[in-house]
Amino acid sequence: MAAALLYEEWAKRNPYWEKRYEESVIKKFTDYGKGESSFKEGRGKLFGAGYEIIIIAFFIGLYYNQRKKLIADSTKRKSLGQPIQYWGNHDSGKDRKAYPKIRDYMFIALVAKSDIDFIALDKDEINLRKAVDILMDTMEEYINWGLDFIEDKVLSDSSYFYAPTAFLDVFLGFDANMADEDETTEPEEL
Amino acid sequence: MIIKSINIKNFRSYYGNNHVDFSDGLTLIIGGNGDGKTTFFESLEWLMNTTVDGKRAENISEKRKSELLPGESDETSVSMVFEHDGDKELVKRFRFYKNQDGSVSLNDYEFVGYNNGAERIRQNGASMLDNCFESEIRRYCMFKGESNLNIFAREETAIKKLVETFSDIKQFDDLETLSITCESKSQSVVAREMQNDKKTADKAKELNNNIRYTDDKINKIIEDIHTLEHNIHTYTDIINQIETIQETSEKWQDIKKRIASLEEKKTKYSTGAKIDYNTMLLDEYWILKPFGNILNEYSNKVTKLSTEKRRQEREEDRRRAEEKAKHEIIEGIQQLANGAEPLPWNLPDRETMLDMINDEVCKVCGRPAPKGSEAYNFMLQKLEGYVNHIKQQQIIKTEKENSDEEPPLFSKSYIEELNYRKIRFCDSEAESWIAKLTPDIYETIDFVNKQKERLEQVKMDLQDAMTERDNLLIQSPGLTAEALDKSFSDYRGNYEAKESANVRLAELNADLKVWKGKKEGYLSEYNHLEPTSSMSKLYQKIHNVFNTILSAVEKAKENNIESFITLLQDNANEYLQKLNINDFHGIIKLQRQPNGSAEILLESSNGSLITNPNGALKTTMYMSVLFAVSKITTLKRDKGYPLIFDAPTSSFEDVKEEVFYNVIDKIEKQCIIATKDLLVNKGNGIKELNIDKINQLSCSVYRIQKVDGFNEHDLSTIQTTITKIK
Repeated sequence: MAAALLYEEWAKRNPYWEKRYEESVIKKFTDYGKGESSFKEGRGKLFGAGYEIIIIAFFIGLYYNQRKKLIADSTKRKSLGQPIQYWGNHDSGKDRKAYPKIRDYMFIALVAKSDIDFIALDKDEINLRKAVDILMDTMEEYINWGLDFIEDKVLSDSSYFYAPTAFLDVFLGFDANMADEDETTEPEEL
Repeated sequence: MIIKSINIKNFRSYYGNNHVDFSDGLTLIIGGNGDGKTTFFESLEWLMNTTVDGKRAENISEKRKSELLPGESDETSVSMVFEHDGDKELVKRFRFYKNQDGSVSLNDYEFVGYNNGAERIRQNGASMLDNCFESEIRRYCMFKGESNLNIFAREETAIKKLVETFSDIKQFDDLETLSITCESKSQSVVAREMQNDKKTADKAKELNNNIRYTDDKINKIIEDIHTLEHNIHTYTDIINQIETIQETSEKWQDIKKRIASLEEKKTKYSTGAKIDYNTMLLDEYWILKPFGNILNEYSNKVTKLSTEKRRQEREEDRRRAEEKAKHEIIEGIQQLANGAEPLPWNLPDRETMLDMINDEVCKVCGRPAPKGSEAYNFMLQKLEGYVNHIKQQQIIKTEKENSDEEPPLFSKSYIEELNYRKIRFCDSEAESWIAKLTPDIYETIDFVNKQKERLEQVKMDLQDAMTERDNLLIQSPGLTAEALDKSFSDYRGNYEAKESANVRLAELNADLKVWKGKKEGYLSEYNHLEPTSSMSKLYQKIHNVFNTILSAVEKAKENNIESFITLLQDNANEYLQKLNINDFHGIIKLQRQPNGSAEILLESSNGSLITNPNGALKTTMYMSVLFAVSKITTLKRDKGYPLIFDAPTSSFEDVKEEVFYNVIDKIEKQCIIATKDLLVNKGNGIKELNIDKINQLSCSVYRIQKVDGFNEHDLSTIQTTITKIK
């Protein structure tokens, strides 16, 4: 049997997020929890499936280069119904397109940003599960920070993100060098 | 008569007192659709209507009415100060009372005039108006809409009334009556005398019969001609009506097409403007706009990992190669240990060697080999070599076995997986795709903004087109959308009937001429009969004189009518040229119809008829006739009268509109025009005055507008304000 790919193992997972964002962010901006049929009707939310705001939050944390550890109490955490491998696969309603490549870029970012000893992984000195755990930790921390960022804006102005370009403006605020401006472009010594 | 000012109080949308001063020349009242232009015009119409009861509940300002508490009252009035043999004032008003049950009662209607001389003298308003601005003149002074400007189409007897009112034709009436009577009576006397005269009796009788016969013929032909003329007139009416409808229908179809095209554009721009930037972040990967450096970071990391992995692999390979080389060296040393050709390592065998050493005898050569001797040491060395060889073979065997089972240094290949992703996602194509996201996003935003602007413009144009469509229906009483949509197939039938009637008419007229010629011949013969009686001869001469006088009077009357029409036509053409300066305008021809009406036609200088002049040319044509009528009125009455128009220039384009107002501005005549021209669209349905164009005019300008904040369903919230601009 061929060895499992790191990407595939990661894509089978489903990141945790803190339950406190469920109402304030996730349900506010997506059809999370509404079920497939009503989801298709379009409920006037800015986004479709619940994972869409999770993706948005992830990239906000990523580009701000800010992580936030999740609350330790696991009863206060929750995950989505769909593992990462399904994110962006389907048109999420009218006038929408699939965007499956987003997963590849999220994976790339996680590999770039996670502190995993890949030499040891290839020597089988650490196991795959451990490596995927580290990737998921990084992912969840970025998401957690991003959700916090969105909630913060919403709390200060509940209609903040209802301006047509509000989310876009967040990302237009970043430039390509911003997220890693402190990083050297030269290969570092391992 | 010059209108100095008017005051409109609580008249429909004109709430409270609204005052306008007029200049002696042009005054423009500018307002958009629904701003109160027509109400302004109708307030003047109401004031100047002397025929109906002016107490009308629908004229009360709804806003004022809604404010009144039960028991309270106010007034609706329109007053006008004017100059006509001194300053005068006309006031029409009534009071309205709010009853306890909320209904409104009207009371105290009056229409009064004041002569504002040294002493203010009160008069009956209707009498004063009729004296100063007689109804025959008023009918040619006030025009609502573009379609009512053709006075001759509006009223069949218009030309007749104009001729009667303003030419000298009435002076002929008594003379004509007298001439006819004299001619007729003298003819009877002559006929009687001729039949009584023996010499002429038979011939006179025959001629009388002939004349009677020709008279019958002529009368019959004239009757047929009248019937035909009536039919032709009916056909013409129907054709005109259809043509009017056709013109309106064509306009209707044009507007409908325009609306359809605008709707299509609206849909297109709506779609373009509807882009959801939030979902574009995901669907179009805009969210990856800042991803470039992360991609670099990943690429660098994977490069370093790959490099390190390869380095470690090389090191391991080297180590293993060294191990292998060491074993080969040992083997090499062993081969060289015995120098010359040795015995095979297994001869003699281990047991034989041990026996020979124990016995201290070389059993190969049979010689003794005591302990310590060279032969004895050789045997020891041979035994050691044997043991070492076995050991070495064991080691090699073990190593060989070990070497087959040793796991590779890197048993997994995740770094290769990462490298594969690097090749796939971090190549120059992928990089330029991400780099292109930024211009794509801004181009899309720019595009969407432009689509939104276009959409706004289209919405405004659509609103204008719909208003135009509604106005077309309003300005075409009795016409419905369905009627305008259907085809007018009976046009051809009526046209052909008219053509055939005209051919028959020409034949009848030719017959009439023949029969009249015959009658002339009989009458001439009659007049040349030579009776014996001298009295008969005298009667005959007297009749000839009366006959000549009658012909002269009829001819003079006809000439008088013709010269009035020519005067009107010449003046109209002067105005037409002014109103169409630097543009084709043709020549106005006022054509009298057999039934006494007139038609305004436009001809080319080569005499060919211009059957379907464009809207603006048609409007200027009718207005030129109006100005000409007004000029003649001024000449005949020695006084000027105002011309008042409500929206006369709907069919004008911007350029035409500019030329038009510049010309009207310079015509020395009081002219009051309510119009929606000279406004510019500022977006969101807001229209503002075109100050540049207005500044080129020397006339007075007022802006009328609905006060903002009205409720579109509640008439009592509508109020028009009048603002003097210049």
